[in-house]
Amino acid sequence: MEFNMKNLKIVGVSHPIHDAEAKVRGNAIYTGDMQFAGMQYAAMLLSPKPHALIKSIDASEALALDGVETVLHCFNTTERTFSRFQKLSRQPGIMNQERVFNRELRQIGDRVACVVAETPEIARQAVRLIKVEYEELSFTTDVHEVLKGALAGMHPEGVSFEFEREMGDKSLVAQDCVETVTHSIMDRVSHAAMEPHACVAYYNKSMDELTIWSPNQGVFGVRTMIADLFEMQYHKVRVIKTTMGGSFGAKQDWILEPVAACATLATGKPVKVVYSREQVMLNTSCRAPYIADVKSKFTRDGLLQSLDIDVILDAGAYLGNTMAYIKYQSTLVPRTYQYPYARYRGQAVCTNGTTSGGLRGWSSGELCLFVEHNLNIVARRLDIDPLELRLKNVHMPWNKEMANNISLEEIRAKECLELGREKFAWDEKKQSDADFNLKNKRYQRGVGVSCGGHLNGYFPINFDFTGVEIRFTESGSAIVNVAVHDHGCGTVQAFKMIAAETLGLPVDMVWVAEGDSAYNPFDTGCYASRSIYVIGRAVKDCCHKLQEQLLQDMACVLSMPVEDLEIVDAQVRAKNDPSTCFSYTDAVHKILFTLQKEVSAKHQYKNTTNCGVMGTHFAHVEVDTWTGMTKILDYLAVHDIGKAINPEICRAQVQGAVVMGSGIALTETMHTNPKTGKSVSSLKDYHVMNAWEAPQVQVLFIEDGLTEGPYGAKSIGEASLVPVTAAIVGAVNEALQSDFCECPLNPDKIVALMQERMKKECV
Amino acid sequence: MRLEFIVNDKKRVLEVAADKRLIDILREDLGLMGTKEGCGEGECGACTILLDGKAVHSCLLVAAQMPGRQVTTIEGLEKNGRLDPLQSAFVEEVAIQCGYCTPGMILSAKALLLENPAPTETEIRRALAGNICRCSGYTQIIRAVERAAREGGADI
Repeated sequence: MEFNMKNLKIVGVSHPIHDAEAKVRGNAIYTGDMQFAGMQYAAMLLSPKPHALIKSIDASEALALDGVETVLHCFNTTERTFSRFQKLSRQPGIMNQERVFNRELRQIGDRVACVVAETPEIARQAVRLIKVEYEELSFTTDVHEVLKGALAGMHPEGVSFEFEREMGDKSLVAQDCVETVTHSIMDRVSHAAMEPHACVAYYNKSMDELTIWSPNQGVFGVRTMIADLFEMQYHKVRVIKTTMGGSFGAKQDWILEPVAACATLATGKPVKVVYSREQVMLNTSCRAPYIADVKSKFTRDGLLQSLDIDVILDAGAYLGNTMAYIKYQSTLVPRTYQYPYARYRGQAVCTNGTTSGGLRGWSSGELCLFVEHNLNIVARRLDIDPLELRLKNVHMPWNKEMANNISLEEIRAKECLELGREKFAWDEKKQSDADFNLKNKRYQRGVGVSCGGHLNGYFPINFDFTGVEIRFTESGSAIVNVAVHDHGCGTVQAFKMIAAETLGLPVDMVWVAEGDSAYNPFDTGCYASRSIYVIGRAVKDCCHKLQEQLLQDMACVLSMPVEDLEIVDAQVRAKNDPSTCFSYTDAVHKILFTLQKEVSAKHQYKNTTNCGVMGTHFAHVEVDTWTGMTKILDYLAVHDIGKAINPEICRAQVQGAVVMGSGIALTETMHTNPKTGKSVSSLKDYHVMNAWEAPQVQVLFIEDGLTEGPYGAKSIGEASLVPVTAAIVGAVNEALQSDFCECPLNPDKIVALMQERMKKECV
Repeated sequence: MRLEFIVNDKKRVLEVAADKRLIDILREDLGLMGTKEGCGEGECGACTILLDGKAVHSCLLVAAQMPGRQVTTIEGLEKNGRLDPLQSAFVEEVAIQCGYCTPGMILSAKALLLENPAPTETEIRRALAGNICRCSGYTQIIRAVERAAREGGADI
């Protein structure tokens, strides 16, 4: 894609996102704010047991309460099962394991029952009156016990799933390599999107039409799953994406949608369900805990020869997306470094812990941590600077990755590393840390660097196409109809900017519709960092089509050859006659009245590339060896973003990712008590970094604009989280000259390490 | 109980349960949906409002504590159709993403500027420590508060 970046007027200039003014006024409408006449409110009863069978439910007292409409549970609702991860009709590789209300409860927080009532208070009060008789079953939250046979009967199709693949050519691995084995553990993490999950649903019985409003990442996925579950035709289910108060992957599983649908189908009234934070943490999804072993082989001069990765992922009660998750992780293995051979083996294992789901990066950040930790230990063993070690091995432009043999095109890993080395003052910091650490006993400092390669879209793992329709209004503005799902990170604004730039219009002359399954062209959803790269490209191409259509129609109106017309500055002009000049609105009116036509274009775009996208992060930390507290002194993130469509939003996203990844590295854990099966379910115990603790994060973008994305853009939202945890963990290990990788490296673990060291020194 | 209090400069008289949370009174009885619930336990700050000029969590207050008090919600900041300097600065500085923390964040900043019209970055960070933003790294938010303090003048 070649274009002149210097001529851009809108793309590359920072804009507030499309609904920023509504949000500062407090009148952006989130699902929890929606009101309908006659609306009913659902309140949930979640399982207090990690594994149990419901013997009986007595809802009589709840039903007797004034204002209660109904009580739904496993004995009066559908026995059909669904997968929270269903995105497509006839989707291969998913397991339908859950009911709307399960009879066998497989985790604390599983859905037992729901009261539908006139007010939220009455609904919550009635929940306390439901009497449930449980038959407790043996439970475990230990993946190793499950692999040894515990929970064998919990799911008929089995409780674990294994995936193994080899990539590259083993025969090319050099002899006489240094073999290094590292072990990593990551605890359960919450997405902690500030908006708790919510859903409104209304079934109009006379029309046999079900409408669902929710902050979700894929209206067609919700439609498909709901229609399949309740045996409805797809055109009878309409799903509308509402303003989303953050997702980070939390709102890509369908959990409240089936509950609200079930409730409105039962009552014929509009029903709203809003989760509390505890319900979000216990009954939606989390990032799975991991146990990972990495064995690397390096030549003595630091050339990576092979990686052997073994991962066990605790899926929690239901497999959900985990089978796809580990397959996806395997494709990420060769996207950072160039080397001859890799083997990946992933196991997704069900336990009675909280069900896991995709978190920002979809396994990429986890993989990055496992591999980068190994590289840091290798660097130490080979006495090579960690940054130098990476420079020796990162992909160069136009390398092919060995998972799918596709080109990484203009990957800029080396440039990211070199720019970061200079701007972060890597070598100087290393030297000053060495001096500091010699003089200080209590505080120890270290630097860490990490490289995280990521993806843009599904290609070639899954099919990756989308549809767009754009029409001119009579006033000369444009309406873009595309199934975009803004997670709150400004995708709609980015699309408006792309369309405005392409059509030559001011940004507020473009309107972009969000996900609505009744009107949007089909799309598979906003996942996998495909929104800008794939859907944004489709929008840009469709704008060109719209302009071509406008020219053709005007050629008809003017009885001129189309080649004699052009569009310049949002005007249709005759190339050789400056007096023949029509603004968009005039042209559209001419066409309307003369040809009886609307000027519109329709486009389907199939993505066939997945260029390399690299984040290189640098962290400088100070560890208090007495308290175990870690302070991030400095942080730099360098990304080869291709082209930042809306630069300040891109920077804000990277900075947000650094704070999130730092939390995952140091403070955040939804730790599950193995004796009770209960996970942390409150923000009191789940420490998200606040403004006081958050580090200052410098962000640098390398922009070459040389990709198939719109205006040369690559992905950033997920890519920005990928290297963070690895950079922080690397820096902590450098500070302490330790080799432990058990996230979060919270004060408890650091103090324990220090105590262990002291004991050894005493002996 | 009969609750008489001032909300966004208007006297309000309501019949509510004494233990009804202020956030529910604002949202359900008064239709002020700008106040958001993120955790219901005073940890996330999304429900922050001004109570007699101080930033507090509306999820931790109940009706019985409210008679005679003055409450300002996000809807009360705009004066005569003009956004509060903080609201404009949040837009201009691109300090808005998902927006769920925004009303609470702005009101915590408002309480700070009412007390300290020229805060340092450290003071801003401390004042916003009770408000979690999961989207950003707080950089644009802090910049917005600095800008409002700098340019807001008498409007703060």
